[in-house]
Amino acid sequence: MFRWRPALLLALTLLVFTPTPSHAYAGPGAGFAVLSSFWTLFVAFLYSVYAFLTWPFRHLLRQLRRRKSYAKAQIKRAVILGFDGMDPELAERFIQQGNLPNLAKLREEGTFRKLRTTFPPISPVAWSTFMTGVNPGKHNIYDFLARDTNNYLPFLSSAEIKGPKRSFKIGRYTVPLGKPTIKGMRRGTPFWHWLGRAGIFSSIIRVPVTFPPEKFPGVLLSGMCVPDLKGSQGTFCLCTTRGSGDKFREGGVRVPIERNGSGWRSYIPGPEDPLGGGDGKELCADFEIHPEPRGEQARIRIDSETFTLKVGEYSEWIPVKFKAGLGFSARGICRFYLKELSPEVEVYVSPVNIDPGHPDLPISHPVTYSIYLSKLFGPYATLGLAEDTWALNEEVLDDQAFLAQCYANHEDRERMLFDALDKTRQGLCACVFDTTDRVQHMFWRYLEEDHPAARKVPREQRPNVIEDLYCRMDSLIGRVMSQIDEHTLLLVVSDHGFKSFARCVNLNAWLQQNGYLALKEGKSESGDWFEDVDWSRTRAYTMGLNGLYLNLKGREREGIVPPGAEAEALKNELREKLNGLADPDSGRIGVTGVFDCDAVYAGPYVDNAPDLIVGYGDGFRASWDSVMGKVTGQVFEDNLKAWSGDHCIDPRLVPGVLFSNRKIDDEKPAIVDVAPTILKLFGLQLPSHFDGKPWTVGASAAG
Amino acid sequence: MRSSTILWPAVAGFSSINLPAALVLLLSIVIGLLMVVVFRYTSNQKAIHAAKEQLKAHLLAVRLFQDQLPVVLSSYGRILRGTGRYLRLALKPLLIVALPLTFLIVQLDRRFGWVPMSAGQPFLVKVRANGAEELAGISLQLPAGITSTAPAVHIPADSEVVWRLVAEKDGAYELSVASGSDAVSKNVLVSPALRCVSPERLHAPYWERVFVSGEPALPGGVIRSIAVAYPPRTISFLGWEWNWIWLFFVLSLVAGFLFKSMLGIEI
Repeated sequence: MFRWRPALLLALTLLVFTPTPSHAYAGPGAGFAVLSSFWTLFVAFLYSVYAFLTWPFRHLLRQLRRRKSYAKAQIKRAVILGFDGMDPELAERFIQQGNLPNLAKLREEGTFRKLRTTFPPISPVAWSTFMTGVNPGKHNIYDFLARDTNNYLPFLSSAEIKGPKRSFKIGRYTVPLGKPTIKGMRRGTPFWHWLGRAGIFSSIIRVPVTFPPEKFPGVLLSGMCVPDLKGSQGTFCLCTTRGSGDKFREGGVRVPIERNGSGWRSYIPGPEDPLGGGDGKELCADFEIHPEPRGEQARIRIDSETFTLKVGEYSEWIPVKFKAGLGFSARGICRFYLKELSPEVEVYVSPVNIDPGHPDLPISHPVTYSIYLSKLFGPYATLGLAEDTWALNEEVLDDQAFLAQCYANHEDRERMLFDALDKTRQGLCACVFDTTDRVQHMFWRYLEEDHPAARKVPREQRPNVIEDLYCRMDSLIGRVMSQIDEHTLLLVVSDHGFKSFARCVNLNAWLQQNGYLALKEGKSESGDWFEDVDWSRTRAYTMGLNGLYLNLKGREREGIVPPGAEAEALKNELREKLNGLADPDSGRIGVTGVFDCDAVYAGPYVDNAPDLIVGYGDGFRASWDSVMGKVTGQVFEDNLKAWSGDHCIDPRLVPGVLFSNRKIDDEKPAIVDVAPTILKLFGLQLPSHFDGKPWTVGASAAG
Repeated sequence: MRSSTILWPAVAGFSSINLPAALVLLLSIVIGLLMVVVFRYTSNQKAIHAAKEQLKAHLLAVRLFQDQLPVVLSSYGRILRGTGRYLRLALKPLLIVALPLTFLIVQLDRRFGWVPMSAGQPFLVKVRANGAEELAGISLQLPAGITSTAPAVHIPADSEVVWRLVAEKDGAYELSVASGSDAVSKNVLVSPALRCVSPERLHAPYWERVFVSGEPALPGGVIRSIAVAYPPRTISFLGWEWNWIWLFFVLSLVAGFLFKSMLGIEI
């Protein structure tokens, strides 16, 4: 019977493919199958014919244009695996323990070095330097946030999204004319653009600060800094029957769940109503929760989607539509996590990601690349900071739920990487994995004997999350190694390492206590973003993770420090006083270096840089309040958040890693050298503005 | 000016809708709806969705990586495999609906496929025998109201004998064809209305008869078949003359596509 099955299938396929009038008897069903199949094959055939017929001409054109792109190349392909935050000391430790056989092999047969990072060692800064081969003074990214000198408020440093300039009114609606404009703030040219101009194809996946995506000869999926549908860097939603007036410090909102017959009803807050004329009113997507009889699972219904979730289980990516009226709507995707059904009902909803299959904003180049990946692998996280660290910080998600989310995203990216490897048999394939960064941020507390955030958890109950993380990454590296040949250069790089974040330093509090920052009369603390700061008596302030700013006359709206000698003197005074600042509780050094930006940066955008970069010591970081421009009473305090490891400290303490399957002779490689090295290996001339220097790379690869 | 140019044929088409066209339109809508609903419940919707998405992905790959010939070729191979997979998934629901739909369409074909004879309109009756030598013994007996307008024509090469007849008035008639002592009958319908007709009566297995005959099989003897040459019906729709099957095919497809979108069904 089974021997006949292929023949039968073939016969039936032929039957359906060769429609005759008698087939009309099979009715519209056969018609659908025939038409769909025919259309697919027809389009494929057209594409293929087009590709076949034009390939020689395009090939010739490419040859003429790029003058034999690979003629001087020492490699056929470069594969760069970026592991955000992979730490060289931890890697070394786990290699010594025999847990990372593939990294051990690279170390033995190729290269393992510490990779010098940027000032400051923050991902958007370091990855911008990685891709452009220049210091931040030339690429204009100094932190996640930059400050507006007109009002001392922050804005996202990497991209600016503005609504359409023009609109018209129809009754109560303000109808926008045109699309939002997205302006990339990162300057400099990523090295894959140089490769593209020489005719070398690149596949770039999730490299930070590639939003908005730029046009170049290759494909690119944007990574860190892609916003969610609300335009934020990730706003989760906790729907709950528990009444609470508390607001989350950052990154989430609490939404009530209300009774609705035998079930419950709630909503997901969405983007601002585009027809609201900027009145700030949010669109919402309603959903219903119907607990099932035994109380262990519930049916959730949103739009036409209905799915069942057990307590402690995530949904797949669910499409969500926010309807605005007049046919306007915004589409996104999110995941539901059923936290509790009894006695209270609580549902966590992830930030609403831009739907990669129907992107409302461009998140890839070309736009069809995100659609292609979505069709090939299904919907996936598109948010820049897709792992919801805020939800774990606010104890909305527990450790297991957070890890499940991280590794689900990670598996999606692995699939994308292997597809890119398959599609990029010549040229550059670069993919950055964020999981290493997020998991270390959130689970460093279990690595230490006495981290304030883990004091409640007995030693024997602490999971080996970070060790497991490194093993998983090693396994991925092993699978990549098995897919590359001796003509391929493999680089495993990280933008920075990691250290403990056990103690918070509120530099604004220190500035206030030392007379550099003043509060308004009668105030002992400020609100967020310098509310109640008296700028007329303030000479210095800090916001963001490492930047310290002078309140400079002529630059800041209410600046009082004259530029020139007085400003220089103030900078020197601050450097002297802050350098070596000790924690009174332990006597440990909280600040190990303060760097003058005029000395560490050079380039056309230095004026946008902070005046000083503060390098915190091992175990310290800017406090949560200080980052948000808040002045509190205490300079040093314990960090009790799950976010317990960090890297936004003295860059000399947190170098990244460099592994390669080839010998690299340089003893002190830096992340800024990656771009010139790759260009050199492909036989290209180096642009004169590069700050990095190409490494000397051996000719043979580790087997 | 331009829109009226586009709209006019459609308006003209609808204004000229006659009863058969209206009935085919109605049936197409109903059957299109039924088809997609049955397809929904007899198919693996998730798998079909996934198969279609994969196909689209491979099509996009051809476009995205067009400069890389090996990628284009492998994508084309995947498209072929994906199409096979999609057809395999569509096969089960198609088989489930094909059988009842075939019987339904056969019934409809007897009503919409042929036009009954008109009074005063000459028509041919063709009798096929087992062999040319049998033709001489075949005779036709006419009921009252039907007359022969010409002598019988014998076509030995086809083992056929043909009569030209005419009916004086509307009605359902029964012709009797005799060969020796055996006699068999054949219905003839003369009517201006939309009625069920059977163009042929024949001696054949069920599966051969079902598509053309609405009468019982002829007993195995000298006579193999008796055919009445009803004129095929054409239906006026949107300015074109359609065979009802093609009209039904197109309209039910359109209806199916509309309903599948409205009901969120993957086909």
